Amino acid sequence: MRSRTAPWVLLAPFLVLFIGTMIIPIIMAIGYSFTRVERSGLLGEGGTKSVFAGLDNYLAALTNANFIESIGRMILFGVVQVTVMIVAATILALLLESASAKWPGFFRATYFLPYGIPGVIATILWSFLYIPGLSPIVDVLAVVGIDVDFLGPSMVLWSIANIVTWTYTGYNMLIIIAQLKSIPGELYEAAKIDGATSFRVAMAIQLPLIRPALMLTIIFSIIGTLQLFAEPRLLQTMSAGITSEYTPNMSAYAFAFQYNDIGMAAAQSVIIALAAFLLSAVALGVSNWTEKRS
Amino acid sequence: MTPRLSRRAALAGGGAAFAAGLAACAPPNPGEVNAEPTIPPADGKVHLSYWAWLKDLQNVCDVFNQSQDRIQVDATWIPGGNSGGYAKILSAIAAGGGPDIAQVELRQIPEFALAGALVDLSRYGFNEKESLFDPGAITQAKVGDTIWGVPQDTGPVATFYNRAVLEEELGLAAPATWDEFYETAGIVSEAGKMLISLDPSDGSHPIAWVMQAGANWFRPEGDGWIVDMTGDASMQVAEYWDRIFAEKLVGTGYGSFTTPWYAAAADGNVLASISGSWSDALVKTVPDGEGKWAVAPMPTWPDGYASGGHGGSAAAVSSTSQHPAEALEFLTWMCTDPAGIDAMIKHSGIGWSPAADYIGESRQQPDEFFSGQNYNEEVIVPMAEGQNLEWTWAPLMQRVQAIVGDGMTTAVTGEVPLADMFAAAQTEIVEIMRTIGLNAEEAR
Amino acid sequence: MSTAEIDTTTTGRRKPLGNAAKAARGDGRAGARDAGRKPTTTIIVTALLAIVALYFLVPVYWVVINATKSTEDLFGTSGFWFGENFQLLENMRAVLDANGGIFPRWGLNSLLYAGVGSVLATYFATAAGYALAKYRFRGRNFVYALVLGGVLVPGTAVALPLFFLFSSMGITNTYWSVLIPSLVSPFGLFLASIYASAAVPEEMLEAGRIDGVGELGLFHRLALPQLTPALVTILLFQFVAIWNNYMLPLVMLADEKLYPITLGLDNWRAQTDRLPEFYQLTIGGALLSVIPLAILILVLQRFWRGGLTEGSVKG
Repeated sequence: MRSRTAPWVLLAPFLVLFIGTMIIPIIMAIGYSFTRVERSGLLGEGGTKSVFAGLDNYLAALTNANFIESIGRMILFGVVQVTVMIVAATILALLLESASAKWPGFFRATYFLPYGIPGVIATILWSFLYIPGLSPIVDVLAVVGIDVDFLGPSMVLWSIANIVTWTYTGYNMLIIIAQLKSIPGELYEAAKIDGATSFRVAMAIQLPLIRPALMLTIIFSIIGTLQLFAEPRLLQTMSAGITSEYTPNMSAYAFAFQYNDIGMAAAQSVIIALAAFLLSAVALGVSNWTEKRS
Repeated sequence: MTPRLSRRAALAGGGAAFAAGLAACAPPNPGEVNAEPTIPPADGKVHLSYWAWLKDLQNVCDVFNQSQDRIQVDATWIPGGNSGGYAKILSAIAAGGGPDIAQVELRQIPEFALAGALVDLSRYGFNEKESLFDPGAITQAKVGDTIWGVPQDTGPVATFYNRAVLEEELGLAAPATWDEFYETAGIVSEAGKMLISLDPSDGSHPIAWVMQAGANWFRPEGDGWIVDMTGDASMQVAEYWDRIFAEKLVGTGYGSFTTPWYAAAADGNVLASISGSWSDALVKTVPDGEGKWAVAPMPTWPDGYASGGHGGSAAAVSSTSQHPAEALEFLTWMCTDPAGIDAMIKHSGIGWSPAADYIGESRQQPDEFFSGQNYNEEVIVPMAEGQNLEWTWAPLMQRVQAIVGDGMTTAVTGEVPLADMFAAAQTEIVEIMRTIGLNAEEAR
Repeated sequence: MSTAEIDTTTTGRRKPLGNAAKAARGDGRAGARDAGRKPTTTIIVTALLAIVALYFLVPVYWVVINATKSTEDLFGTSGFWFGENFQLLENMRAVLDANGGIFPRWGLNSLLYAGVGSVLATYFATAAGYALAKYRFRGRNFVYALVLGGVLVPGTAVALPLFFLFSSMGITNTYWSVLIPSLVSPFGLFLASIYASAAVPEEMLEAGRIDGVGELGLFHRLALPQLTPALVTILLFQFVAIWNNYMLPLVMLADEKLYPITLGLDNWRAQTDRLPEFYQLTIGGALLSVIPLAILILVLQRFWRGGLTEGSVKG
């Protein structure tokens, strides 16, 4: 075999699957998003046909108050949850790597454990800790005089944030630890000779050097936030605060399978994908920019 | 394999997949099953699958299975419609599979028909069976003259109230008219209690109210829909409830039969629920309620109907079913034969009977919990008979309910009164109907 | 981050380079950092980490405790301690027997989707990543850009059109409908290509070519062994991704017999509204599905670390 065709042979299985399960669906989604169904008869029993709709679906999606609200909700969620999670993961990683705690291996494993528990099962576990009457946490809080309704309309977003944070903090922590371990020991030695405190070492050496890992975790978390679906969907049956269009993904799902509006569902999917793309690009851009400045 | 061939194969494979993708690029059409010839009854034995969230439905099916040996019905439990059941049914049918029979709420039927998921039952001669059904039930399964589902239970609205507190403690009576409701609610709220408590985001209540008042929000006319949410009957209801909300005469923190509602009902702080007849089973779980509660008719307007519809389901035949005739045979038995009705009441605890002249054996006697009141025959029967038979469900009720629910949430805070919300909702709903390809107009 | 801090960064980074000679004779890094820790610091940090550990363990602890209870005890006794009846075995048997043994079947389905899916996905992604790293050919940059786009597009945005595509091909509600999309790991391709460009030396490939090894042989016999750490990482990443997936099977599958464990448990949980006995089934099922995963994660996390370092350092 000559090396001109070899790469294509190696690429072929991946590319065929990649095109079939990602590129074509994306093209289809884009195609759907520009069409609209016309029905004749009261319920379309006289026949239906697809017609070109131009940007109608996009205009409708972007003027749909519920959809805009769901995007705003995700931005709020992302800003708060991703920040809390990355800060927590960084602090935990620094503490574990500071060698000032006993049993770091045990703690590392414990924190990472939830990553192995699927979001659906994590949500089921936490929902038992949210439901009044079943949850010992609600009972304990009630004893000290705090009445919380974890599933109430104003709280439930943060109850979801808690589940996501619980699941992914340890995972992000491991990525950061991996990067911390790659910092050459001489740096610490030099800092020690200069008399730097642990806090200064963290701020001056460790944080700047783990920036690539932080960027990686932040980008994954942003994409994860936009994908939010399983957790709110499962909690929907238990909380009056969660509507069928609570997150952009739930909205697209509802339009496709409940509201009979494929064009709108496709337009929303495209908007979600574009948003993920843009946010990731912005995050990368900001990262490169600060890199250059330093 | 030679490299040339594998490369070509890869290209060909990719190309074929690409072509398949482009061919599929038009959104999938709903099934054309209602334009194809009807499927004749099968010769031999037939197995039917039935997806529903009724509990212990298999026990009901077994009564039928044992009564004959040609048709065997297997029930499968699925989550409630909006908790994922509908998406499950619709995606299964879109994929060419799914059950023969599916539980669909009455108000959801047109939406399912629009998605191409249902068999037009009129094509199987089901209109001849219409007289076997309670008119208040069968009309809710119809759009125009076409029947799209077999009603399985309904929810005529009545007033379920705590007689011990309302009558004996406060010296009041269950309100017979909406004017009396206004006064009673005022006195109850001055006494530091609530007559009823509503979840404002639940759009099913305003719909039941306007239905009773005589509005017909969605009128099929020819090939299109007339949306009329601002007629006299609707405005009367809107202005009335705007006044109730402005004076804070009813609770708006939580809906009936939620955990806080039960707690308040047990303490005698919420005195009633104006809701579908299926509320009886739920009221019976109010702690310490035995002997204290009673049932009264829904409050009425001077003109309008005795009651509205609140909930209720149909069993619909899916467009992928190979045995619509057998499915109808079974469903006719289940929903009109006394044995079927009694089995559904006993095992699945259904709402009001969909049959014409049979409410169920267990419902023809006084009830212990409701202090010996024979409420089914005395109260619910007239409620079921006094329904608005002109009402038609539109093929987008999930969204209508969401819009009305959102609107009522803002009306409760006084931001936008219901009267204005109805007008805005009418415009929005017509727009959505056009978006999903229907011919729709606002009423003038 | 403020400019001032960035400046200290630069100096902090520069100085040690100058001091490298001094550092070189010093003892190892860990030893150097251990020295001078006060015992009080150790106690405070350990206590802090232990409290955080409690947070991560509470739901798991709850499910272990409550899987031993009867339905009455579940609601009647404190969730943080055992109830009056200890019936763990009965509950587990009920989970395994429910619905004609559907739960073990869900477990096997999950294993099938995640096991077969992740092995094949890893192989495909590694082959493609290696090809992109080690060959210069026309269209290489285009493929790279295409796959980068694929990494960033949320999988759920693709799930709906994929359903319509599969539906038109008639393969929804089959094992294939979940398995085929699981065979693609754009992230794995990136990891593999980054790793391959560093870990597979050109000279080794050239030596192989001179010895007459074919191009596919070079990959399978020479490159793959070098890529083992990346393989493990991709495999684990993809396994967890498939195991955790909810939307794809939710959209694709209607038949309960094809469900993975996540969807099945969700189905049970949804029934608790009407039938309280499903609480015990759901809790027991959650326990059974968490235990093997927990063990797997604890055993494999050390492998995980090595691989991701490569990915994150160079990516």
